[in-house]
Amino acid sequence: MIDYKKFSLDNGLRVMVHEDTSTPLVAMNVLYDVGSRDEDPEITGLAHLFEHLMFGGSKNIPDYDTPLQLVGGENNAFTNNDITNYYLTIPSQNIETGFWLESDRMLELDFSQKNLDTQKNVVTEEFNQRYLNQPYGDAMLKLRPLAYKIHPYRWPTIGMDIAHIENTELKQIKKFFFAHYAPNNAILTLSGNINYDLAFSLTQKWFGPIKKRKVQLRNLPVEPLQTEERILTIEKDVPSTALFKVWHVGTRNSTDFFTLDLITDLLAGGESGRLHTKLVREKKLFSEINAYISSDIDPGLITVHGKLMKGVDIQHAEEAVNDVIASLLNGDRIRDEMEKVKNKFESSTVFSNTSILNKAMNLSFCELLGNPDLINQEVDSYRKVTPEMVLEATRRYFVPSNCSTIYYKSTRKEK
Amino acid sequence: MNTLQRIQPPVFPAEKIVIPEAKSFILNNRVPVYLIEAGTEDIMRLEFTFKAGQVNEDLPLLASTTNRMLSEGSQNYSSEELNRVLDYHGAFLNMSAEKDRAGIVLFFLNKHIEKVLELSREILFRPTFPETELNSLMKKRLRWFHVNREKVQNLAIDQFFESVFGKQHPYGHQVTEHDFTGMSQVLLEDFHDKYYTPDNMAIIVTGKIHERTTSLLNEYFGEISSKNMYIEDSENVIKGERKKKIHINKAETVQSAIRIGSSTINKRHPDYPGLKILDSVLGGYFGSRLMKNIREEKGYTYGIGSSVFSLDLCGYKIISTEVGQKNLQAAIDEIHKEIRLLQSVPLEKEELAVVRNFMSGEMLRMFDGPFALAESFKSAWEFGLDNSYYYRLVEKIRTIEPDEIIELAKTYYNIDELYQVTVGAK
Repeated sequence: MIDYKKFSLDNGLRVMVHEDTSTPLVAMNVLYDVGSRDEDPEITGLAHLFEHLMFGGSKNIPDYDTPLQLVGGENNAFTNNDITNYYLTIPSQNIETGFWLESDRMLELDFSQKNLDTQKNVVTEEFNQRYLNQPYGDAMLKLRPLAYKIHPYRWPTIGMDIAHIENTELKQIKKFFFAHYAPNNAILTLSGNINYDLAFSLTQKWFGPIKKRKVQLRNLPVEPLQTEERILTIEKDVPSTALFKVWHVGTRNSTDFFTLDLITDLLAGGESGRLHTKLVREKKLFSEINAYISSDIDPGLITVHGKLMKGVDIQHAEEAVNDVIASLLNGDRIRDEMEKVKNKFESSTVFSNTSILNKAMNLSFCELLGNPDLINQEVDSYRKVTPEMVLEATRRYFVPSNCSTIYYKSTRKEK
Repeated sequence: MNTLQRIQPPVFPAEKIVIPEAKSFILNNRVPVYLIEAGTEDIMRLEFTFKAGQVNEDLPLLASTTNRMLSEGSQNYSSEELNRVLDYHGAFLNMSAEKDRAGIVLFFLNKHIEKVLELSREILFRPTFPETELNSLMKKRLRWFHVNREKVQNLAIDQFFESVFGKQHPYGHQVTEHDFTGMSQVLLEDFHDKYYTPDNMAIIVTGKIHERTTSLLNEYFGEISSKNMYIEDSENVIKGERKKKIHINKAETVQSAIRIGSSTINKRHPDYPGLKILDSVLGGYFGSRLMKNIREEKGYTYGIGSSVFSLDLCGYKIISTEVGQKNLQAAIDEIHKEIRLLQSVPLEKEELAVVRNFMSGEMLRMFDGPFALAESFKSAWEFGLDNSYYYRLVEKIRTIEPDEIIELAKTYYNIDELYQVTVGAK
């Protein structure tokens, strides 16, 4: 059970505090309700580029990292389709430095051309490192536009085209900042060795003076229902052929989310998951295979991907994957397996919540979903899934007309 | 109302760090056990560690294959059952074989401790290494190997170890395709009999310790006896390769990998804490010289860092980065420039203060919570050291002076002695 207290400032900033005195540290998490889905299709990758720019100095602080390191702090950030999330951990006696740093960059960034130019290069290298210089690195770049035709989830966080980043101008950066970075578009969470009163007064002091801003309203196109199976074949010089399949599912808040999450665990949770047992161990069709559900706020995807063993025909491998999914429908052994994945979900939740930083991030995200107490209800929601719900969801979502597939074929001669 | 002065709030010095001491005792068969109570949840991290790493193998892949095969079937369980029962009890099993040591780590809720101990005993002391499972594992691993050899960073690190430790030494030997067909049940059984023995084992327990924890450990592990196997002394000596610079050609890559470094002292040497600090200044944190110059100033890379690692026979230091093809030489020149600067120009007071405080914060993180504590304990213990090593490090962080850093840089970063491995298009 994670206890927390919650309050809001007049400028709209939402704040949560979770006290844990077993650690000498405090974790501070600032979640901005802006992700790549909020980008203009002509300038994609901006939310993520922005994450980099946020370390290049703010209105009153020329360098973010040095003063933080000077008090023994450590920080990082990530961007996804939905959110941009900044976090730091800091020895508790110096927590006020964290407030000073995070409030200043919410107040206003130092929009310098030099910083923009450098970070464009860094992001280009990140793009090269993650997507181009790895075998199969571009599969996800290709899979998104196959599954989504209209919704902005059709481009990845790094951007649809690296040229968008290269062409970004300073004035677009400024506009993006004031449209999305605002106290009334952010959630601040403190977790660790800090009490509510101190958290409250420091938040008032440092974040209180920041004015409420006019945040750009979110009005995203709704992805139309997919009605036909989509298939893309890529041929490349990679070591072995790979299969990627995605199915559309509902939103993060939909009642099916935990059922589908449980289904992916039945399929691929640990070494004893069905896909691994059947297709890697028994039939030896794949060298590895995985399945997971995205945690997207708008309707997301279930992904299954695997790499084939030498000489295996990809159609044959795909049928075998479909057979394993269909085996969920005959109900054999399902109760035992469900108990197994439920136990595992429970223990991984307990483990995840041993870290003050995870607690801070999870609380922030649950608040964004509408209720911080979801953090304490997840295990229950997952436990409540019944075999009937698994049957029903399998029938409903795992149909060919809801699926997009990439055959990533190796052109290399097998020795 | 007064306008808020947005200047840095007062900086308070690091509080004196207190590291929990491990309680130790021995099982009936003399296996040492170390217990550290930590955390708020009723969970446990249980590690069984053996001197059964690469350094003990006379064939490439033998240590890692033996380790991975431990959970592929035992006297009383098939591999599928082992995995299913562990999963059913919500336990996480990590297996690892590194250069010096190998073993398993389990994470679980305390209510399942007995089942976990029973399965651990099966995995560690009753494995059967079935041929069928071995064959399919080796086929899988060969597939992974092929994928990994596509990545410039893997090619670079493998070559780096070969160059630094020598082709013949188990720390340095590179795996080839051929090695994947060389494993057999008999070889694995022999390696297991020699190295996975109570004589060669220690148990590290962190989390919520219960009264019955010790008696349970004795019940499951205290009666196992070691076979008296003759283990010949390895005659391998570490001898780096003659060639200091190697480029591996990998066409059609957009980035090149760089690894620069050499063998060095390990934790047992009195200079090691100082070397750790020097390494932090150079490339050990986000505000380090290499990050500031090569990422934040020049934008050549997404990331660059340096590290110092301790192995049983020696240590090594390594600078790692992936850079855009066109900036390869420029990045190497900048790395050399930064090393030379550290050898000639004393650190400014401000930078030294940042490093001192950043590292002090790191030390807090190293002992925060049951998982971090276990790793920190082990990484001193395996060198025969205890917490006094960490207190010496804390003291050195507090007191080191710029002159000492220059001396360390001159002693340990002789550019002519560094190996340089690059991988990428010509």
